[in-house]
Amino acid sequence: MATFRKALKSKQRNHHERAQLGSRNYLGLLEKKKDYKLRANDYHKKQNLLSALRKKAMEKNPDEFYFKMISSKLEDGEHRANRASWDVEVTEEQRKMMRTQDIKYVEMKRVADARKIERMKAELHLLDAKGKEENKHTFFVDSKREVQEFDLAERLNTVPELVGRVYNRPTLETLKTKSIQGATDKRNLQKLARQRGHQYTILTQRIERERKLYVISQKIQCRREIQDKTKRVKMSNETKEAAAVYKFESKRKR
Amino acid sequence: MSPGFSPRGERGGRGGFRGGSGDRGGRGSFGGRGSFGDRGGRGSFGDRGGRGSFGDRGRGGFRGGREGGGFRGRGGGRGAPRGRGGFGAGRKVVVEPHRHEGVFICRGKEDALVTKNMAVGESVYGEKRISVEEGETKIEYRAWNPFRSKLAAAILGGVDQIHIKPGAKVMYLGAASGTTVSHVSDIVGPEGLVYAVEFSHRSGRDLLNVAKKRTNIIPIIEDARHPHKYRMLVGMVDVIFADVAQPDQTRIVALNAHNFLKNGGHFVISIKANCIDSTAAPEAVFASEVKKMGAENMKPQEQLTLEPYERDHAVVVGIYRPPPKQKK
Ligand SMILES: C[S@@+](CC[C@H](N)C(=O)[O-])C[C@H]1O[C@@H](n2cnc3c(N)ncnc32)[C@H](O)[C@@H]1O
Repeated sequence: MATFRKALKSKQRNHHERAQLGSRNYLGLLEKKKDYKLRANDYHKKQNLLSALRKKAMEKNPDEFYFKMISSKLEDGEHRANRASWDVEVTEEQRKMMRTQDIKYVEMKRVADARKIERMKAELHLLDAKGKEENKHTFFVDSKREVQEFDLAERLNTVPELVGRVYNRPTLETLKTKSIQGATDKRNLQKLARQRGHQYTILTQRIERERKLYVISQKIQCRREIQDKTKRVKMSNETKEAAAVYKFESKRKR
Repeated sequence: MSPGFSPRGERGGRGGFRGGSGDRGGRGSFGGRGSFGDRGGRGSFGDRGGRGSFGDRGRGGFRGGREGGGFRGRGGGRGAPRGRGGFGAGRKVVVEPHRHEGVFICRGKEDALVTKNMAVGESVYGEKRISVEEGETKIEYRAWNPFRSKLAAAILGGVDQIHIKPGAKVMYLGAASGTTVSHVSDIVGPEGLVYAVEFSHRSGRDLLNVAKKRTNIIPIIEDARHPHKYRMLVGMVDVIFADVAQPDQTRIVALNAHNFLKNGGHFVISIKANCIDSTAAPEAVFASEVKKMGAENMKPQEQLTLEPYERDHAVVVGIYRPPPKQKK
């Protein structure tokens, strides 16, 4: 029976909520149930909160202890929190100490990053990384004529197509006699290339983060140094990428 | 500035790098995604034929790949390897023979220059090892960090010749703890020899440990300025590699060349501009060193700077007492 009813239903037209009538168009879009629910729920939530607060105020016991009683007071009709116990003035000495600790923490993080970078670089050798610094390759030949006739592919004993592949330009003999090992099917190679790309992305991010941490630690250090009253001249201002530079009067320390 | 993959221990300045995955084959690169072959396209190893592509007809090309030219992919059709999982299962990397015999390029999740490990199962300085199964045999490679080794940086920078190859006798001046020496030992293999000279006893201790595991390394803890002190230990060599970072480096190499390098042998010298003259421009320093070599009967053939791995460094490769030119 149920199947029959369902089969009938498939013939039915879907129920659509009514749109705004043309004659009432000036009132704007007609609110749908969905929108109404949102509005109503919000309204009720606010009402409930208000009544809960009202009830709390009414039931308040003026003799009851609460912490704000002692940690805040009214000043000129304004409610002011007393200064918390941890928010006392710090001496210069203490501030310096805090900065030292900050530096230590930042340095620890930076060194950890630097280590990781070293480790990654040990197996990511930028074989054909884009935008790496270019090197310069000079060949020495005996005569002007050789300079004019110079052909890189010929000199390197390889094929012209491989000349741009700097990290490995197999010689003609190598090409003829040697073979490649390991993964060779296309899908596998694509997967490996993707993984490799990912490794390089991680490495790039690490390098960037290490650099930022370095700047931060330099800045904190700079602030700590200029706390002292030693005579100094400012050489350059602080920038986003570097701490300020000061030149201090040299003083003999005992 | 984009985050720089700057050389070790230096900060700021030049050298942005955008960590692209690379491998988007283009002109002059092997075809698709780091693969040899199978994508075709201009200037790649493909089976499309036409000028400059590798077909079987062509001048070269790794012989007989499944899809036209390209390295032959061994291990292609085999059943799935019983992967140990994790790193080292056969299919996780592609190992490509390098221009310089004994050196390989290993690309997987890593993107590294490697050498075949002679002392299987052992790392020398904590470098990563990568093993690749080839049927029954398992070959182990060791990553060779170009940020730490000038020779590796030169290789990846595209140097024409290193003259260090299987079976070669190499003299290595300034061996330090033996990190690069271990890779040189991998390259020359059991048939070759590496005389590793280092004068600091502290580094020398590590070097001795490396030599214990690798019988083709002969460690020599002496000052390279006094070759007569170790002349009893050393025979004639084919190549001298020098990375002593001393102002009189060229003279040191010349002294050793006069004593041990065969006529027509080669030298590979790494020059750190700062160590020679910290005030002059690096270019000028390199030029003056090249000139000094000429005076010592050492004829430079090529020079290569080491960016992006090192700053203000160059490697000069040349020939010692070249045989006189035949007039045609
Ligand atoms: C830049 S490090 C070489 C690093 C090494 N080539 C590597 O890539 O692992 C230079 C080394 O040369 C050594 N050295 C400097 N002067 C030397 C000399 N006159 N004789 C022998 N070794 C020397 C130093 O002790 C130092 O360990």
